[in-house]
Amino acid sequence: MATTVAAPPYATAYETKRGGLWDWLTTVDHKKIGQLYLYTAIFWFFVGGLEAGLIRWQLRQPNAGFISADLYNQLFTMHGTTMIFLAIMPLSAAFFNYLIPLQIGARDVAFPRLNAFSYWVFLAGGLFMNFSWLVGAAPDGGWFGYVPLTTRAYLPGPNIDYWLLGLQILGISSLAAAFNFATTIINMRAPGMHFMRMPIFTWASFITQFLLILAFPIITVALTFLQFDRFFGTNFYTADAGADPLLWQHLFWLFGHPEVYILILPAFGLVSEVLPTFSRKPLFGYPVMVYSIILIAFLGFGVWAHHMFAVGMGPIADSVFGVTTMLIAIPTGVKIFNWLGTLWGGSLRFTTAMLFAVGLVGLFTIGGISGIMHSSPPADLQQTDSYFIVSHFHYVLFGGSMMGIFAGVYYYFPKITGRLMSESLGKWHFWLTFVGMNLTFFPMHYAGLTGMARRTFTYDANQGWDVENMTATIGYFVLAVAMTIFLVNLLRSRSKGQRVGNDPWGAPTIEWTLPSPVPEYNFETLPTVTSRYPLWDRQHSGHAEVPGAPETESHTEHEDIVDVAEEHRGLPGEPPLPTAAELGIHLPSPTIKPLLAALALTLPFIGLMMNKNLILMIGGGAAFVLVMYSWLLTPIEPEHHPPAPVGGGDKPMADSPFWTAR
Amino acid sequence: MATAAIEHHDAPHHHTSTGLDNTKIAVWAFIGSECLFFMSLISTYLIYKGRSLVGPLPHEPWTDPATGQTFKAILNIPVTSASTFVLLMSSLFMVLAHSAVVRSDRKYSKIWLAMTALAGTTFLGFQAFEFTEFVHAGLTLDRNLFGSTFFTLTGFHGAHVTVGVIWLITLLFIDIKRGLGPRDAVNVDICALYWHFVDVVWIAIFTLVYLIQ
Amino acid sequence: MPPHPARRSAALAALTAGASVFLAACSKDVPNSTLTPHTDLGRDIDALFDILLWGGVIVFTLVAVGLLYVVFRFRHRPGDPEPKQIHGSTVLEITWTLIPALVLAFIAVPTVRTIFATQQPPPADALQVEVIGHQWWWEFRYPQSNVVTANELFLPTNRTVHFTLRTADVIHSFWIPQLGSKRDLITNRTNHIVLTTDSTPTMAWNGFCAEYCGSSHANMRFRVFTVPPDAFDEWLAHQAAGPVFSAPGMPAPVDTTMTTPPEVTQDPALPRAFALVDTFARLPHIRPSTPLPDMPFAATAGDATRGAELYRASPCIACHTVQGVSPGIIGPSLTHVGSRTTIGAGLYPNDFEHLSRWIKNAMALKAMNYPQGQGMPPMGAGLPNAMAQYDDQQIADLTAYLLSLK
Repeated sequence: MATTVAAPPYATAYETKRGGLWDWLTTVDHKKIGQLYLYTAIFWFFVGGLEAGLIRWQLRQPNAGFISADLYNQLFTMHGTTMIFLAIMPLSAAFFNYLIPLQIGARDVAFPRLNAFSYWVFLAGGLFMNFSWLVGAAPDGGWFGYVPLTTRAYLPGPNIDYWLLGLQILGISSLAAAFNFATTIINMRAPGMHFMRMPIFTWASFITQFLLILAFPIITVALTFLQFDRFFGTNFYTADAGADPLLWQHLFWLFGHPEVYILILPAFGLVSEVLPTFSRKPLFGYPVMVYSIILIAFLGFGVWAHHMFAVGMGPIADSVFGVTTMLIAIPTGVKIFNWLGTLWGGSLRFTTAMLFAVGLVGLFTIGGISGIMHSSPPADLQQTDSYFIVSHFHYVLFGGSMMGIFAGVYYYFPKITGRLMSESLGKWHFWLTFVGMNLTFFPMHYAGLTGMARRTFTYDANQGWDVENMTATIGYFVLAVAMTIFLVNLLRSRSKGQRVGNDPWGAPTIEWTLPSPVPEYNFETLPTVTSRYPLWDRQHSGHAEVPGAPETESHTEHEDIVDVAEEHRGLPGEPPLPTAAELGIHLPSPTIKPLLAALALTLPFIGLMMNKNLILMIGGGAAFVLVMYSWLLTPIEPEHHPPAPVGGGDKPMADSPFWTAR
Repeated sequence: MATAAIEHHDAPHHHTSTGLDNTKIAVWAFIGSECLFFMSLISTYLIYKGRSLVGPLPHEPWTDPATGQTFKAILNIPVTSASTFVLLMSSLFMVLAHSAVVRSDRKYSKIWLAMTALAGTTFLGFQAFEFTEFVHAGLTLDRNLFGSTFFTLTGFHGAHVTVGVIWLITLLFIDIKRGLGPRDAVNVDICALYWHFVDVVWIAIFTLVYLIQ
Repeated sequence: MPPHPARRSAALAALTAGASVFLAACSKDVPNSTLTPHTDLGRDIDALFDILLWGGVIVFTLVAVGLLYVVFRFRHRPGDPEPKQIHGSTVLEITWTLIPALVLAFIAVPTVRTIFATQQPPPADALQVEVIGHQWWWEFRYPQSNVVTANELFLPTNRTVHFTLRTADVIHSFWIPQLGSKRDLITNRTNHIVLTTDSTPTMAWNGFCAEYCGSSHANMRFRVFTVPPDAFDEWLAHQAAGPVFSAPGMPAPVDTTMTTPPEVTQDPALPRAFALVDTFARLPHIRPSTPLPDMPFAATAGDATRGAELYRASPCIACHTVQGVSPGIIGPSLTHVGSRTTIGAGLYPNDFEHLSRWIKNAMALKAMNYPQGQGMPPMGAGLPNAMAQYDDQQIADLTAYLLSLK
């Protein structure tokens, strides 16, 4: 496979400008921020994985005494919270950052500094929440933190405070990023990049931003109530004051169900990029794929109470929420069939990225079907809060989101670094993941159906769950090996991977016209887009506007899966890439202010944890306001005079010398 | 690049797809998010309405069965109507301020910006008075469900008005320092968008919390 | 490129592993299976589950076969021409929009029917059982017979039971997998389950808390015994009365807190249900096997009469009821504690060895991270936070007394 091909015997002439630490701290380049998101999220993914390992080791056999009940409760709470908010969401954000501007033909996101701010706030939130481990008080209320258990009366320690304030911080990050990406996609598309020409990943991201924008304020309110209850004595969830704990559940799941689509839609988008490329066929039914994403997101706001069938809402509410939940299966099913339609009649090249993408189609189907089983309220009453649902959402989030994200990592790694990840290690990674994931999570269906409740730190012998649990624990170790291989591959390939040109996979969308790695200004000149798959228009005679583009012949096994790029910009023998200054492109100035703003923003939360320390709370708030003033009153780029507009209808936007609200 | 599919041209630096400024779109997105934020707060108020186990209550007096102490109905609708009127007028001032900025009318832009900020501050003064009165009447944040939901909802609205007033004062300061002109229109425009939104939220709160019994 | 043999064998291995787990799950003893229900409610749900399962299996098989076919059939081979550039097919896409819709209709109709069928109001003559969740034990009340017990639920066979579900603290969820669905016990709310037990078998089932409720959520289990109606009535009558306690020389209990004189059953003949329960208690899935932590304990037997004296002056009475002796209601009722098969909410067998250690230091036997420290405190001398300073012999006496409360 890939490793059988010798590395090119030349040194690379072009590398991304790799600055030192200061460069990373002050960067406002969406590509660097994307990488910061990627590596940070992978770090948290491994932390969450380690937590899962301790859980699985405890559950390997009945009545194991490996860890205490309280530690176990902290582990499963943090495993869920970490994987959702610190791993999968920011992994998606890594791709939003890196890809959206490239896919729509923009120089950067709409608000580059806000983008940096989002990352630093995310990092602060993750560190804030995980700091709880160091003081031995990690959150222990479960990832959906049901009240009244999570109120001060029942969990008085700081554990829940770390959780809820951490989530508040992360919410700020997600919302800031969502405003930014939504604006970017609406407003920064290159000429000709109509909505219905946008790459499907950008579409999935676009809809995800709306889910974030509309869902996160709801959890913010729910958490604010809990925060006020715990710190300021309000009664939102105080049973003795007549509060109704279902208020939390409704608010939480009004956020929580759209959150599921926030986690899965970007992965769907990535897979919808990978499948056409390696099938050498366009995405089957692009418009229907777009509509189904929109429909899934829309319906996603009307089904939250299917998480609450066991609370006893009455037969009418049960029926309504059950049936609307089933409706979501229709657009989801259409996506699965359209992916199959994309593969059908193609010329499938099984790169690692393709394996993961096909893996998603198969494994997500299992998660989707068990989801349908949950949509039927009477059946759900037996399945919910058992291991059946643990199995279900791991098929959705691991078999779906993570498989899609892995596909995306292998697919876009060459664009990010200019190098391929090892295909042979990648295949080990895929097959071990595939086997390990099924070993771990498939038996949990049976454990759940045979009566094993979730979130139990121990179980008794002779209950009929021993085989399932032992299998799941073995599966975990297979997954652990797979993930180690992935990590080695990822880190090693950054410097050792085979150098590639612009378009190693023969992909159709405009990000592949750019040199790999992408120069800081992205496009020398902004492209004009005339079709959905511009790079294929010149290859496929049926569509080519310039006929006679040569068919690529395959010669080696490696080239069987990797196209020899037609353009070797930046490789030896080619002229070096021009710099932004040479091209007269004005890039946003690096600035430390987003990082400072994120720090200042975190201070009040730290103050609240430190016995409502007023100095930190007021000082942090004041520092935040000051940094924001300094930020907003500094122009985003050095002073310059914009070039005269070319072409009709293009209106130069005013450059404000005193302030720009970017 | 030898292709007709991808053409390059020297786009103006700040080209946008919709022709609108990025900030304007972002503020619209922000307002969409804020809608859900206030909808959640208002819904919570309505869900908990009438479920407080102890008084004081919003619309009717309440006598403590244990002590015999009577708490009067809390909400003072005439006073809040006045503050609502002031806030509504501030939206009008905001429109006039924006129009003055677009016209480069330095004199009136400053006057109307100042008037808007003043009206906002007056509203906040009313709210401070109202909160003080309520606390004296026995309604605190931790007294009952009504206290928790009422203070949290109106408090968050007040915080939004405060941010708006600071924003307006900042604009006013810039206007005094160097003058706001048509090229600043978008920056005044987004402030106006936010300000009108905060007003609309208050109309919803005033109707649902104060007027409907 | 021909299919890689390693890939096929890996896929085969995965399939084999999956199948063996499936077979293992089917063939071995699964005492808590939701798939072998013993109530009308359980069967209604199971019938619906079968539709969902087989529908799901068929859909998955179709997708999987399609996916595998495509993956092998359309694999890139050297020299392949560029594939035909198909952008979609309206007919196909409408078809596979309609097919799932149709499949869902097949699921939705029985779903809605089952929802309404299983949420009917209970008949007037249903047996009323109040379930009250506590961190981390279960209180069961039979209001029609004025019986309060804990962690072990008796149900008559062939009878409609109306469970009224409440909680004393946080949210719990009441779940007996083989007897039907689960429902949450929600603070400030009341929930209901109505089910009719089968006429057979006379059997013991496990129940669980299914909603995470803090430290010992996993240790919040209970036992359910379905016994013939006449045995159930005997049991109920027995529970309604005071404990059978016939230790020699035992003075009649004096209770200053109770207004009515306690009724002490002097007849040592225990109801028939007890014999059944003795049999149940030996079932592997009923007898707990939680390992007992190491704890030095010097006594091997206790004196029930001395224990009774000790009990009446002990701190135990503040939290526990023994009818006619102590009025506490914070902890489980101990009136008939000697007749139960387990202690600690299904965590340990109820015998001298386990109960004595429990009394000495319950915190060491069960995670009880209560916020205000109101869990069962240690009673043993010299233990941290001990509420009493009993030596091991005194604890043995207390144990003997409690075990005698049949």
